Amino acid sequence: MKKMEQSDQALVEEGMEASIKKKSKISGSSINGWLFASPWVIGLILFYAFPLFSSIYYSFTTYSILSPGEFIGFSNYKQLMVDGIFWKSIYNTVYFAIFFVPLSIIIGVALAMLLNMRVKGMAVYRTIFFLPTLVPHVALAVLWMWLLNPGFGLVNGVLDAIGLTGPNWLGSVTWSKPSLILMSLWAIGQPVIIYLAGLGDIPQELYEAADVDGASWLQKTFKVTLPLLTPVIFFNLVMGAIGAFQQFTLPYTMTQGQGTPDNSLTFYVMYLYDNAFKYSKMGYASAMAWILFIVIMLLTAVIFISSKRWVHYQGK
Amino acid sequence: MSNSIFHKLMFSFCLVLVMVLAACSSDDEASESASGENTVEFWHSMTDTAGDAVEQVIEEFEKEYPDIDIKATYVANQGEGQNEKLLTAIAGGNPPDVAYFDRFEVATWAAEGSLESLTDLAEEAGISKDDYYDFAWDELIYEGDLYGIPTTTDSRLLFYNRDHFEEVGLDPENPPTTIDELEEAAEKLTIKDGNRFERIGFIPWFAQGSFYSWGWSFGGDFYDPETGEVTADDPKNVEALEWITEFGKKYGVEDIAGFTDSQGSGAMDPFVSGQISMKIDGNFGVASLEKFAPDLNYGVTPIPTPTGDNFKTWSGGWSVVIPKGANNQDGAWEFLKFFGSEEGQKIFSEGSRDFSVIDSVNESLGYTDDPIFSEFINILPESNSRPVMTAGSLYWNALADAVESSTRENGTPKENLEEVTQRVTEALEE
Repeated sequence: MKKMEQSDQALVEEGMEASIKKKSKISGSSINGWLFASPWVIGLILFYAFPLFSSIYYSFTTYSILSPGEFIGFSNYKQLMVDGIFWKSIYNTVYFAIFFVPLSIIIGVALAMLLNMRVKGMAVYRTIFFLPTLVPHVALAVLWMWLLNPGFGLVNGVLDAIGLTGPNWLGSVTWSKPSLILMSLWAIGQPVIIYLAGLGDIPQELYEAADVDGASWLQKTFKVTLPLLTPVIFFNLVMGAIGAFQQFTLPYTMTQGQGTPDNSLTFYVMYLYDNAFKYSKMGYASAMAWILFIVIMLLTAVIFISSKRWVHYQGK
Repeated sequence: MSNSIFHKLMFSFCLVLVMVLAACSSDDEASESASGENTVEFWHSMTDTAGDAVEQVIEEFEKEYPDIDIKATYVANQGEGQNEKLLTAIAGGNPPDVAYFDRFEVATWAAEGSLESLTDLAEEAGISKDDYYDFAWDELIYEGDLYGIPTTTDSRLLFYNRDHFEEVGLDPENPPTTIDELEEAAEKLTIKDGNRFERIGFIPWFAQGSFYSWGWSFGGDFYDPETGEVTADDPKNVEALEWITEFGKKYGVEDIAGFTDSQGSGAMDPFVSGQISMKIDGNFGVASLEKFAPDLNYGVTPIPTPTGDNFKTWSGGWSVVIPKGANNQDGAWEFLKFFGSEEGQKIFSEGSRDFSVIDSVNESLGYTDDPIFSEFINILPESNSRPVMTAGSLYWNALADAVESSTRENGTPKENLEEVTQRVTEALEE
């Protein structure tokens, strides 16, 4: 008995020793890990976290990059509420997002389904539809300015040929935003690739089962393909909405930063940029940036909450 | 065992240290070689003929000051409201020693404390307002202090195509002087087919027809430097905008936009291709006409006014400034002095074909004898400069917005100009 007790105690002691050993090993290796990661961690704090949080503070000041400015509480936000161009830029941005995002999903999915058919030379077609994505935004703007030119642009030329008089696309307040939506839809290759991957992920046996049950093509599309594509649509909806709210390069290059005609192409981020770098009102611009951040956060939250109702994951 | 942890710790610590040191040391080297004692770093945005001209100025300067070495760097998008690179360089405490800078933004930047004051240096060197055109000097003064040395200027006039005038029975020797005559001529010169212009007589806002050009020509004013009052809604300015709006309505704003959207610059300029008969442009437009249409038969005349007299124009132009915190301010000042001196001005103005800010230089280069250039020079004494204020860029954009909104019938001219006054006044109060 005594022997047993002794050996038991030894065992317990040994176990304790082992656990101490283990502990010190863990803390040692995590210090090493942190040390190795430290350039990245320091960079993240210094170049992301610090500017991010200081911009909250700056949004309450008259900061202008060159001078630190004074603390003025909520006046930047109050002033924004009565700034006519601010509201106009919100209208333009929301208009663009409301039309562009759903259209890009409908056209993107339709295109992906077309490009998913088993036809000879599909790789070539897929490449063709992806190519516009590779065109830089500035080049895209210049190209479309020529295509949409009311005098000798290709688009109005085609319309003329079928007996229609095309509008002055980019020179008209009514048509400038639809033109921009059209241009943006042209470079839709990225989401199409994601949809294609999503389509490839749908198990073939579901279609076979549907065939056995005598489902038509329409039924298969709406009962099998689309529901199982919803996770991918969900992803593209979130990314598309965020991208639409940050629309900048295309209208900025097209109008040389002016948002012409009559501010109909002044988007939120363009006005933010003007305030920050042209009017040296960085505090005001910071306030705008945080409003945009909150709007995008809320919107994303709404999409996420609603996703429980309409997104169907496989195997659930 | 604890030894091995210690080794590992030391090793990773050293690795990080080496990386940090490596980053620092390469920085040190770079800044040392860039700001050596006699090197002046100079940022400018000039290309083409102006780019060559500034090279010549630098060459001559280095010949006269062999101990100073100018390191010129081309920076795209510097000036005209696009100074992001300079802005961040000054904020980061590592600016160039000299920057080529749009005069019209000097007040804004001086108010931010981002330019070195040159008042004492200029006084010591005996440089004063008397050496330059008044407006060019005044644009560089903010709250009594001098912040730059002017280098170029310009003015705006009405260009008209003599052949077109003869073709429709107008006298090319008697171009329009009143607004009514201008309108009449424009109507005769325009050839419209459906909603397309084969040729358009005139577009008020085309090229250099900014609202400053029209407001002053109609006898209005924009800013009272004494009281600091913004007067965008001056009754005369309202009258000018009402006229512009009427003009747009008559010819169809969207049709005009369709026309201007189809035009380019340089060889594609509609004045070169004969698609527009009259335009407001600056003397810098002459150089491109000489280059792309040497045979074009055209004349220039002051911008018409309602009464046919009291012709007005406005002038912009560039300057050289020393950004706040520049390393080699002594060398920079020597270069500024040389660039703004009669000698430097002669070299630059001759090469670039930009007007000098010194009257005698323009005369000695023969600009006053040239039938076209002399018109631009002669009006300089009557010239205005854009308001010297801290919200210059905002004022410019707000006026452009007001013209756009009014011609698109989004609010009346009076309402839109009142809004400009309010916006700019608010910005100045901050």
